[in-house]
Amino acid sequence: MSIEDVFSSRGRVKILRILAEIGELNISEIARRTGLNYATTNQHLAVLENSGLVRHKKFGRIRIFCFNEESPRAEIIKRLIEVWTNK
Amino acid sequence: MYPYFSVFKDESKLDINYVPSRLPHRELQLNLLNQFFRFAIESPGKMTQRVLISGKIGTGKTVLSQHFGLNITKEARERGINLHYVHVNCRECKGSLFMILQRTILTFYPHFPRRGYSAEELLQMLVQVLDELNAYLILVIDELEALIRSEGSDPLYNLTRIQEDRIKAPQRLSLICVLREPEYLEMLDPSTRSTLQRNIILLEQYSKPQLQAILNDRVSLAFRPGAVSAQILDLIAELASSEEGDARYAIELLWRAGKYADASASPEVLPENVRKAAVSVYPVVGKDMISSLDLHEKLFLLGIARRFKQTEAAYISMGEAEDAYVIVCEEHGEKRRGHTQLWKYLKDLSALGIIKTEPSRVGQRGKTTRISLLKVPASDLEQEVSKVLYLKRT
Repeated sequence: MSIEDVFSSRGRVKILRILAEIGELNISEIARRTGLNYATTNQHLAVLENSGLVRHKKFGRIRIFCFNEESPRAEIIKRLIEVWTNK
Repeated sequence: MYPYFSVFKDESKLDINYVPSRLPHRELQLNLLNQFFRFAIESPGKMTQRVLISGKIGTGKTVLSQHFGLNITKEARERGINLHYVHVNCRECKGSLFMILQRTILTFYPHFPRRGYSAEELLQMLVQVLDELNAYLILVIDELEALIRSEGSDPLYNLTRIQEDRIKAPQRLSLICVLREPEYLEMLDPSTRSTLQRNIILLEQYSKPQLQAILNDRVSLAFRPGAVSAQILDLIAELASSEEGDARYAIELLWRAGKYADASASPEVLPENVRKAAVSVYPVVGKDMISSLDLHEKLFLLGIARRFKQTEAAYISMGEAEDAYVIVCEEHGEKRRGHTQLWKYLKDLSALGIIKTEPSRVGQRGKTTRISLLKVPASDLEQEVSKVLYLKRT
């Protein structure tokens, strides 16, 4: 996936920002904090997961999302957000 | 922070939640606990353990397990084992397995969704969480009575059996149950009872010299040198050993006596301060017991205490108690709870031993619950509850 595709959406950037801030969250909570609805959040997360930036853990019916620590891109984006918000 | 002449150097060392670095006269039991959980350090995942700690009020059950928890997690950390110790109080969780498990999971994932599944699902999730993190857990279920009383033997059965479906996977969940009254074990089904009774640590009441040793430790931590004489320690230990060797009572007494000494601007604690403290601390209703109650339970208790203050009668009826509660609610600007809820509160309060309830006698029209206060004078109970309520508001 190209970089334009990932960052072309305001929703996706919001999700990345919240995951960088909080660390690990379930979908409903991400939706609540970003102000998006559940379905949209779910779709954005699917895109982010396909691009390898985000991964999820599954506990029963609960999915908890976080940055994919194994991806160097994810590391850098997380760092970028942290620097940006601390300016 | 303190007035110039305060007898205290660090009051927090007398707090109910403080875990001292030394537990006088519990070395043997601590050792036993360490033996039971040796495997958690030496071969984690190979087995799990269930231990029952039992003893009367103020015999050091909670502090023993917390002390053990601090030590073992430290040792595990040094060896690179991801071992967690989680201490949950059933009374604070309203005796609900769901809340116990939820609190446990929240220590691993603070943003875990709080609703939307059953206790059984949550238990499975806890195991998955431990697997995911490659963690081992010693879960302490304090005040087990509350859990057994409200949910019977199923929760414990599930907790002890959760590992059995996972024969090849690492065993991750160990239990320490803390129980005041062993009679509650009778309410469990035979198989759960036998698993728990296999490893039981019984804490005897503290004797007077033992209480003195405990107080001595705390005095050197919390008071300025010379503020508490040996004679005072002796007096407090004597009072506490007559209260069935309740160490918590002894420590609360020590703290209050210090407070009275401060209030009278005395450079040391005097016997008179202790006597005054003894009148104001009742072992049946400690500060911590009242603060663990719900807001409306407190309001209800306050209503009952006030009613008893006004009347000469030894008993009041449920109706009278409710009327008094309604007035208290008005005073605090709270919406009153319904009759059924109050009746539940009444049962809880009576289970805690603060009040006594019994059905009305034959010969009176209709049927009602009669309430009586056992050991505590109504005015003191009122004062205690008001104090706690006031603290909450400020």
